[in-house]
Amino acid sequence: MVVPESALKPVPAPQVVQSPSGESSRGSLELQLPELKPPTTLAPGLLLALGKRKQRLRLSEFQQGVDQELPLSPGPLTEPHGNAGASSLTSSLNLALATPPVPQSVQRPGLARRPPTRRAVDVGAFLQDLQDTSVALALPGDSLRTPVATLPTDTVLEDTQPFSQPLIGRSPNVRHSLPCPSSSAERTVGRRTQSSGPRLQNNSPGRPDQLLVGKAEEVDALAVGFPNTSNSSSGEDGLQPLQDGVGEEAEDVMEESLSMSDEEEAAGAQGSARAEEPKTHKEGTEAEGSWGATEAKELEGPSRDKDTAGRTGSPELTSITLEFQQARQLEFLEPAQPTSTAVGLFRQQSIPAPSLPPEPLSARRPPRARTAGPRLRQDPYKTGLSHYAKLFSFYTKMPMEKAALEMVEKCLDKYFQHLCDDLEVFAAHAGRKTVRPEDLELLLRRQGLVTDQVSLHVLVERHLPLQYRQLLIPCAFSGNTVFPAQ
Amino acid sequence: MALSTTVSQSKRIKRKAPRGFLKRIFKRQKPHLRLESSCDLLVHLNCLLFIRRLAEESRANACKNKCGIIKDQHVLAAAKVILKKSRG
Repeated sequence: MVVPESALKPVPAPQVVQSPSGESSRGSLELQLPELKPPTTLAPGLLLALGKRKQRLRLSEFQQGVDQELPLSPGPLTEPHGNAGASSLTSSLNLALATPPVPQSVQRPGLARRPPTRRAVDVGAFLQDLQDTSVALALPGDSLRTPVATLPTDTVLEDTQPFSQPLIGRSPNVRHSLPCPSSSAERTVGRRTQSSGPRLQNNSPGRPDQLLVGKAEEVDALAVGFPNTSNSSSGEDGLQPLQDGVGEEAEDVMEESLSMSDEEEAAGAQGSARAEEPKTHKEGTEAEGSWGATEAKELEGPSRDKDTAGRTGSPELTSITLEFQQARQLEFLEPAQPTSTAVGLFRQQSIPAPSLPPEPLSARRPPRARTAGPRLRQDPYKTGLSHYAKLFSFYTKMPMEKAALEMVEKCLDKYFQHLCDDLEVFAAHAGRKTVRPEDLELLLRRQGLVTDQVSLHVLVERHLPLQYRQLLIPCAFSGNTVFPAQ
Repeated sequence: MALSTTVSQSKRIKRKAPRGFLKRIFKRQKPHLRLESSCDLLVHLNCLLFIRRLAEESRANACKNKCGIIKDQHVLAAAKVILKKSRG
């Protein structure tokens, strides 16, 4: 199963880290890593167990699981999730999720210690919300998954494993996953934070509304969520565990996101390309759905926390996650349609709730609209100037600094102003309202470029390409014609 | 016969002149004036010559300071001189 593969992937990774452990079972797992890409059917429980358990059970259980190909010992990982039962997406998602957490847990054993708290009820509600939101949101948005998304998704994915189906499919996935959210979530979470998975689920139902908000929000939410989780100040039960999970995840997010993206891709075979990088379509991919759901959950949690409890420390996480993800997400999201971005972000947060609180959306939308104006005006002008600035660096044949290039653009700006003024004066002097080539020649002469020795035609021939030369320099053609006409 | 005003042969021109960009700049600055079609090519020529002079002056400044990289103060000093020269 895809899940098992992804789970294996992360597991082998940590195992590799733990070289001393090099047990046969691990070795087998490691070997399986390469097989990860193509979803191989591994004991789903095994992988799930691996993911979930990240630290504690991972090694021991993993080995057991590997040997037995049975789901890892019950624990945070709820085998009952029906590891294999979950849609491939979920499994793939779980894998994806699982992988990041596993390495993380290895790296940070302390973080992994989190008793998984699962709430079946919450999950159900969450799933429904996810489905609703996912359906509402354009799936294509999911494709944009930004790195931020990946971060939260890790936790989210884990939870949403059962859901793994894509948004469009996501809702169904969500629904499916919901039934065994706890189990699947646990599995997915197992990677990073087992508890976070279930928490996410719990949180997500509450958050789906929040998640839908524009990507900015999501990112912020993520950031907030992370800090929140770290702070665990939120009063909500689900939030806290989620937050904690998020906090952990936030830290590992960076790592995970990277790893996740890889895993996702691997798992994505089934689910989708949820890969952090903006994948345009991934709606269909289950992984996305589940992944997004998990993310949404996470995001929701944090966003909720924001709303509910004072976010503390969110700025830290926010900055971290924001930088990382925003850079990616914003880029992707902004160009993408707002809905899509929202969806994509949503995915990350895995908050399918279509009714996200308007504030996050509004917060995100207006800035976008505002930047539209000045951006349009600046861009074509800037691009034109940079076109000449590039020629400058070509003429100097020397390396240049970026500041020097900007200085060149400023000089060009001044130069254009002078040029227009001079042309206006010359045309007015000739009693015309149209600038003619004679005015230009007079300007060049006054600048000292055209002298008695160097005529305008010489300059034209030297510096302009042939096509322009033909347009400027009158030439005699057959039939007693001259072009351009004088 | 006479060639068309548009550029023919080998549709691709290396180092194209941003005619639209130049026209837009002129229109923004002097909306009451009109620019002829072949004039923007000469404006482009003027720009090229200006940039060339600026680049050579900047390079001389950088070499004077024994710098391997052109910094903005070199460019600034060069711009002061060249802008004065190209005032017309």
